[in-house]
Amino acid sequence: MKRVDRYLLARVDLPDSHTLAVYRAHGGYQALEQVLRKPWKPEQVTQVVKDSALRGRGGAGFLTGLKWSFMPDPAKDPRPRYLAINADESEPGTCKDRVLMERDPHGLIEGCLVSAYAMRASTVYIYVRGEYRVSYARLQAAIDEAREAGLVGRRILGSDFSCEIWMHPGAGAYICGEETGLMESLEGKRGHPRPKPPFPAASGLWRSPTTVNNVETIFNVPFLVLRGADWFKALGTKGSTGNFLCGISGHVERPGVYELPFGVTAREILEQCAGGVWKGRRLKAFFPGGSSTGLLPASSVDVVMDHDSVKAAGSMFGTAAMIVLDETASIAQLMEVTLRFYDHESCGQCSQCREGTEWLHQIFRRIVRGQGRMQDLDLLVSLANGMAPAKTICALADAAAIPTLSAVKHFRAELEQCVRLGRDPLATATAQSPEHHEAHA
Amino acid sequence: MTKITVNGREIEADPKQPLIRACHDAGIDVPMYCYHPGLTPVGSCRICQVEVSQQNQPPRVVAACKTSVAEGMTVQTDAPKAREVRRECLEFLLKNHPLDCPICDKAGECDLQDYSFNEGQGCGRSVEPRRKLHKRRSLGDVIVLDEERCILCSRCVRFCGEVTKKPQLTVSGLGAHSVISTFGDRPLTGNYQGNLADICPVGALTLKKFRFQARVWNLAKTRSTCAECSRGCAITVEVLRGRQVKRFRPRYDPQVNQWWMCDTGRFALGPVQQPLAAAGAVHGGRLAGACVRGPGGLARATVDAALGAAREILGNKPAPLVLGSPFLTVEEGRALQALAAALPVAAGFVAPPPSGLADDLLNTGDPCPNRRGLTELGLRPVEPAAARKALATARAALLVGERVTTLLGADELAGLPAAVRLVVFDTQAHALPGLDVCFGVPTHVEKSGHWVNVGGLRRPLEVALAAPRGVAPLETSLARLAQLLSTAGARS
Repeated sequence: MKRVDRYLLARVDLPDSHTLAVYRAHGGYQALEQVLRKPWKPEQVTQVVKDSALRGRGGAGFLTGLKWSFMPDPAKDPRPRYLAINADESEPGTCKDRVLMERDPHGLIEGCLVSAYAMRASTVYIYVRGEYRVSYARLQAAIDEAREAGLVGRRILGSDFSCEIWMHPGAGAYICGEETGLMESLEGKRGHPRPKPPFPAASGLWRSPTTVNNVETIFNVPFLVLRGADWFKALGTKGSTGNFLCGISGHVERPGVYELPFGVTAREILEQCAGGVWKGRRLKAFFPGGSSTGLLPASSVDVVMDHDSVKAAGSMFGTAAMIVLDETASIAQLMEVTLRFYDHESCGQCSQCREGTEWLHQIFRRIVRGQGRMQDLDLLVSLANGMAPAKTICALADAAAIPTLSAVKHFRAELEQCVRLGRDPLATATAQSPEHHEAHA
Repeated sequence: MTKITVNGREIEADPKQPLIRACHDAGIDVPMYCYHPGLTPVGSCRICQVEVSQQNQPPRVVAACKTSVAEGMTVQTDAPKAREVRRECLEFLLKNHPLDCPICDKAGECDLQDYSFNEGQGCGRSVEPRRKLHKRRSLGDVIVLDEERCILCSRCVRFCGEVTKKPQLTVSGLGAHSVISTFGDRPLTGNYQGNLADICPVGALTLKKFRFQARVWNLAKTRSTCAECSRGCAITVEVLRGRQVKRFRPRYDPQVNQWWMCDTGRFALGPVQQPLAAAGAVHGGRLAGACVRGPGGLARATVDAALGAAREILGNKPAPLVLGSPFLTVEEGRALQALAAALPVAAGFVAPPPSGLADDLLNTGDPCPNRRGLTELGLRPVEPAAARKALATARAALLVGERVTTLLGADELAGLPAAVRLVVFDTQAHALPGLDVCFGVPTHVEKSGHWVNVGGLRRPLEVALAAPRGVAPLETSLARLAQLLSTAGARS
């Protein structure tokens, strides 16, 4: 693997990296000054983002510039415009945004301001996962510091551009990381996703034009302004440009968040960044992008980490949150834990998701406890196909169905063995006790 | 209007309405649970999936309640893919459903039952234990909630928020553990709670008063109009085995009540459920036939004898007072007017003061369902107090129609001087000093005719229940009496 030109994590290891002084000393707020002083037209910022082919880092990989261009023309649409930052990072395995928010909060704030300028939004909401207390405190402190310095609020840096940034902590629901669930929650309602269309750009927060972007996505924007689209496209691959943050966890020697260009292989991340599978064991399987992406067997470890290649391998790039399992891990137990999560987090609106996530969880739990039946494997596939793709309001049902389908596809023999033996030989003892793990206990 | 093709048929669709509405309006069935034409669509139950193709794009299966119609859209409601998605959806919905249809009041008119029968699979594949939740959670005086049967369509939540504009219900809990509950577990209030049982697509919300009263397939349904205020909501009268009215339910009328009715009207079953007076007796229930005052007080008589006695009284006393009930139909009002003309006097009708139940949704607070119809005929509305005053000084009076004595105040009438001779057509005979002749009449569910509501709309009554033997239609009786009076007049 060639040397990585780090920019996303360039400042995070500096002492007091979360302060305005350190941020400024390392080139902070130059993009904002350039945009406001030169001045750039808002369309110019959008154009750079479009040219860069930056894809959203929240999991779906949608083109950010294209998403921004869905915002209606302000000359024809007088409604207020909002930018909402999705900092509700709750996908199992994903922990990348937290690093940025805790250790480089001004980077996100500058990204918010430049992006809000591009979209002509004068209000930004940062919706932070409830458990991220440090992220919340650091961001709030940074916003206060920036406001003091005239970087947030009215007439920023003496220009005509005014922008307010508000923090909003979540209360621990995964579903509030779904963009429409996030908007409902921001409005003070239950985090029940809205059917789309209308999409947020047409009718979002308080029925006004809204763009919802991931933290890391927005964090890229000031670099695009300063360094240009060509620099960005030179990093990464044709369909997936720039660097991304990979949070690798599970059975590895050095779990952590690493910055890598698109195009590295999963093996390179595992072996060179994370120090390989722990305890000298062999790799069994891995989620390439968080627990909602298809589980891949060890044979797929040479997959190139970009959106198109991971898709071709039968999974999804997701949030690049690799979860690694060694040879001693039980697939049935992994799936029991994974589906318990989705069962617990389903909002309960759609029939398929509310009942299906619980059902899948119950079946995997029976298999782990040795009460599986041979027909359960086909039933898992049939139920998962009844939940996805795109059969429900949001993608939580898909997020439960996709790992289920991949687990049965790649590890059917192991699951069948659990059924035949009447026990899961690999599961830990606690997982097999009947009192263990009721989703809503 | 937008032209779309549904199942090969070209139909006109309102572009402001969702696709499912266009299909329903064209008589094409698309299943629905969370969708209700009177509520904002939310697209959560996912049962209304149909296959849609647009402009040479490959067909997609979409939720019809959240899809807008577009020119040239082609829809297949029964495409194999759409049917498959609906089958899957039903399997998920039934996974934790208690399937207690044999003891469920909704059975027979349950959407979950009907669609499962039409589109579901023969048997479930779940071996997991079913969810155990509250089977009888009281939500106030009107509604009881069975949480196990609930499919979380949220129609009830939206009804409170959107129709009555008083949010009282919410979904609490998360995911598979969601339940419907009231805010702070307070009982439901308001005069529109009964509608919750109507819009509940399953047997989760049921009426305390209808619980275990009848199997709905034994109820004969007849269209009619509500009698409890001048709004004249369209209703269905539901009669069990030809004997007893069990339910009033709202019937869709876009100009009057849409899908709703108030609880005052819904539960006004007392007057139409009165048992008959014992054989030979005059008091203590509905009067079938007629009675005439004899030497030993009121006694049963033939209708002919009673009509003769009525003619004697009305024909011989000067200017008898003629008062109708506000429940008279337009047709009955006309017959009463004809009779009054033979006397000759002007007829009026008893118009009780406002009930105090008026709200800004349906109830007008005017307890006269046909005030407008009778007024337009030329009958004078008379307040009960004024009517009693007039009665006290009259020599004779003719009181006509369902509940007329009660509306005038049976207790106050008991204090009338005995010199005031009364001929009464009412559903029951009250003990009044001057009561000489009394005829049984049909209730508003036992007659046909029309009422004119507060907005001037003429709405029908149909015979939902046969009147007791011996009770003739009021128009017939009035016409016969008018005939007797005019021939008597000719003779003298």
